[in-house]
Amino acid sequence: MSDSEKWGWWTIGAVALTIAAYVAFVAFLGHGPATSSVFALLALTAIPASSRRHFKGRRFDEREREIARKAFSVSFSVFWLAFVGFVLAIYFIKGWDATLTVPVWALEETLWWAASLVMGVQALTTLVLYRGGPHA
Amino acid sequence: MHSQEPEIKNYIRRLRFDHGEMTQDQLAKQAGVTRHTIMALEAGKYFPSLLLAFRIARVFGEPVEQVFEYRATEGELRSS
Repeated sequence: MSDSEKWGWWTIGAVALTIAAYVAFVAFLGHGPATSSVFALLALTAIPASSRRHFKGRRFDEREREIARKAFSVSFSVFWLAFVGFVLAIYFIKGWDATLTVPVWALEETLWWAASLVMGVQALTTLVLYRGGPHA
Repeated sequence: MHSQEPEIKNYIRRLRFDHGEMTQDQLAKQAGVTRHTIMALEAGKYFPSLLLAFRIARVFGEPVEQVFEYRATEGELRSS
C-alpha cells in the first residue's frame, strides 16, 4: 500500500471515529459544548499514517500529485455545494429578514463538520482514483 | 485499428522482461516514482509526463519512441 493510500485510510478512519464518538456523546450527553470535544479526534489526521519508525515524509510522484490535486478539487466542490445548499436552506427556512442567534458551540460544530466533510471526501476520492479511476 | 480517443501505448512490461526480468520496484526506484505508478502505466491507465517518459526510456537505454507509442485518433489521421 502506498503512502497516499495509507493517508486516505487513516484520514477516513479518523473521520469515522469522530462521527462514531460524536453520536455516542450526543446519545449520552445531548447536544452541547461537551459534545464538541470529540472533534479533537480530527487532530489524528495530522499524524503521519506511514512508517512510524523512520518517517521520511510522504513520497509523492507525479501521478500521486495529480490524484491529490483532483481529490482536493473534488472535496472543495462538495464543500462548496454543501455551503451553498446550507446558506440557501437558511434563507428558505428562516426567511430573508430573520435574525439568528447561534451559540458558539453550534457555530464551531458546523465548521468542524465542514472540515470533516472536506477531509473525508478528499481521502475517499484519493482511494477511488488510486484504485479504479482514470489515474489509477 | 484507431479509436476516437488518442492513446499512448507503452512497451514497459516487455522491456522489463528483456532487461533481465527487472521488477516493477526496481524500475520504479530508478525512474524515481512509486511501484503503483509503474503498475498503472503498464495497465495503460496512466499517461506519464514527458519527463517521466524520458526517465523510463533512459533506464532501459532506449529512445523514448521505443518505449512509448502515440496512436492517433481517426480524426487526426484523416486530417493529416
